[in-house]
Amino acid sequence: MALLTWSAGERRGSAGRWGGAWLAGLTVLGALAIGAPPPPEASTEYQLKAAFLFKVAQFVAWPSRAFREAESPFVIGVLGDDPFGPYLDELVQGERIEGRPLVVQRYQRVEDIVACHLLFISRSEAPTLDKDLALLKGRSVLTVGDTDTFTQQGGMVRFPVEAGKIRLKISIANVEADKASELVVSSKVRTPAIVVPPGKD
Amino acid sequence: MTMILVTSGVVLVLTCAAFVGYELLTYRRSAVQQLATLGEIIAAESTGAVAFEDQRNATEILGALKAERQIVAACLYDRQGKIFSRYPAEARDDAFPSTPQPDGYRFADGHLTGFTPVVQAKGSGRFGTLYLNSDMGAMYERLRLYGGIAAGVVLFTSLVAYLLSRTLQRQISQPILSLADTAKAVSDRHDYGVRASKHGEDELGVLTDAFNHMLAQIQEQNDVLEKRVRERTAELEAANNELEAFCSSAAHDLRTPLRTITGFADVLLDPRAKLPPGAAERYIRMIRDGSGQMSELITDLLSFSRLGRQELSRQMVDLDQLCREVFQDLASERGGRKVELRLHPLPPAEGDLALLRVVFVNLLSNAHKYTRPRDPAVIEIGVAVCAPGEAPVYFVRDNGVGFDMADAEKLFGVFQRLHHAHEFEGTGVGLATVRRIIDRHGGRIWAEAAPGVGATFFFTLA
Repeated sequence: MALLTWSAGERRGSAGRWGGAWLAGLTVLGALAIGAPPPPEASTEYQLKAAFLFKVAQFVAWPSRAFREAESPFVIGVLGDDPFGPYLDELVQGERIEGRPLVVQRYQRVEDIVACHLLFISRSEAPTLDKDLALLKGRSVLTVGDTDTFTQQGGMVRFPVEAGKIRLKISIANVEADKASELVVSSKVRTPAIVVPPGKD
Repeated sequence: MTMILVTSGVVLVLTCAAFVGYELLTYRRSAVQQLATLGEIIAAESTGAVAFEDQRNATEILGALKAERQIVAACLYDRQGKIFSRYPAEARDDAFPSTPQPDGYRFADGHLTGFTPVVQAKGSGRFGTLYLNSDMGAMYERLRLYGGIAAGVVLFTSLVAYLLSRTLQRQISQPILSLADTAKAVSDRHDYGVRASKHGEDELGVLTDAFNHMLAQIQEQNDVLEKRVRERTAELEAANNELEAFCSSAAHDLRTPLRTITGFADVLLDPRAKLPPGAAERYIRMIRDGSGQMSELITDLLSFSRLGRQELSRQMVDLDQLCREVFQDLASERGGRKVELRLHPLPPAEGDLALLRVVFVNLLSNAHKYTRPRDPAVIEIGVAVCAPGEAPVYFVRDNGVGFDMADAEKLFGVFQRLHHAHEFEGTGVGLATVRRIIDRHGGRIWAEAAPGVGATFFFTLA
């Protein structure tokens, strides 16, 4: 966790720099189309965020109709540019949630999503975020965003960095606003430090 | 008593020890169970906080342990094994193991400590570890209390047992001790009149009664024996007196004819004496009469003394015939005098023929002797009227000189004579001999008389 001792200023700077790098990467990816080079290694920050994704999945209950069959896998989706690389796949390899194997799916467009339970929406999706979230409503998808205003826009979970540490923030109001999704957040994570008051980020 | 007290004391101590031991075991087990449960609850509660490093929430959750007073320290380790949150919040690092140890709970230094995994049931990953440290002081406090109570119970029950057994023992030992005292008094003082006091109607009361009854019997037998000894002594004294009287009488009666013999012999031997003619022959006859008298006396004495030793040979005796024979044998006594015998029929009797003959010889001889002044003399022999089933009472009656009834008791003593020898000769042994024979046959003899009218001798043979 020593890597999380950066100051807020440094982090913001780094994030900007990385953001540029990702854009460059995406351009390369788009140019090469098929036979793309292996995705770049995830940074320490995204390794921690990947771990948080897996952990959050354990504190939220999905309705049984979210799974087609009893043995259907639990799908973690990544929408837009993938900041995790193979790290997320390695992380969930062999793990289970309520006995279901975990599967990572990557989507370029929200319309591609068929069955997904936890969706990480990349920064690259910021321009279409409102539309994406509107489309995901009622589909029992726990949305996790990477932008600062994600919960203000109606997203459910984000992982801000505070005092050099990754934090979990859940907007219970947004989760409960999407009644049709029937997602239930465990009381164990409904603490003042985690729950985002309605209307705030 | 000591043995009973020690036994019950040991039993009590062992029982209390078993209870305390069982309590300790149960309490330790339940302490582990309780702490493990508490650990599971706290661990489950803190999964979110540990998973997302929500330190504030974690400290709050651990802070709830304040309600569990025995929990002196607790902390949460993160996945890397570093202390992430602690209770009490101000505790220093050295209050906790620096790294988590294997899950489970164990006792050490009066503390129960252990580690519980922090996991989310839905997933398969482990987020961290919970450490709990429970002070067992309360438990040991409780055990000490138990020990104290047990010791108190042992002491109190021992005291009660001691008092109880002392009281009960007094109830048992008091009568026994009093019995022992009585027995000692009896053997020390030979006083069979003392009695043990009875304390109750229980078994000891029965024993006391039996003891007293035994004493009463001993006392009774003692009295009987003493009475018998007194009787025997009196008899012996009487016999002794009789013997002394007999001796002096015998000596006196023997000396009388001896003096006659010696006196006339001296006269005859004196050379200076001038005896008238015929005197010598008269003197010698008197000497011979004295010798005869002595010889008769000695014969009577011998037969009298023999009576004491001689065995009775009992047989049926025809008394009628015996009387007639004796009467005939006494013809010389009559010397031509007219004596009438009135013999009533006598039933045969069982007895010693020779001795019964002596009885009738003496009685008839007396009757002849004392009727000498009578003409005609009458001697009547018969059986007095008596109730059926009783022993027949025989009598021999004469119309002789009789005697004064005041002297009736002296009649049967040896050498007791109611008349002077110059009136009626005799040795004074005859009636004593008769009485001894009647005695030996188990019978009785007595006499009734009036002076100048006659005498009647009654006797029985059984």
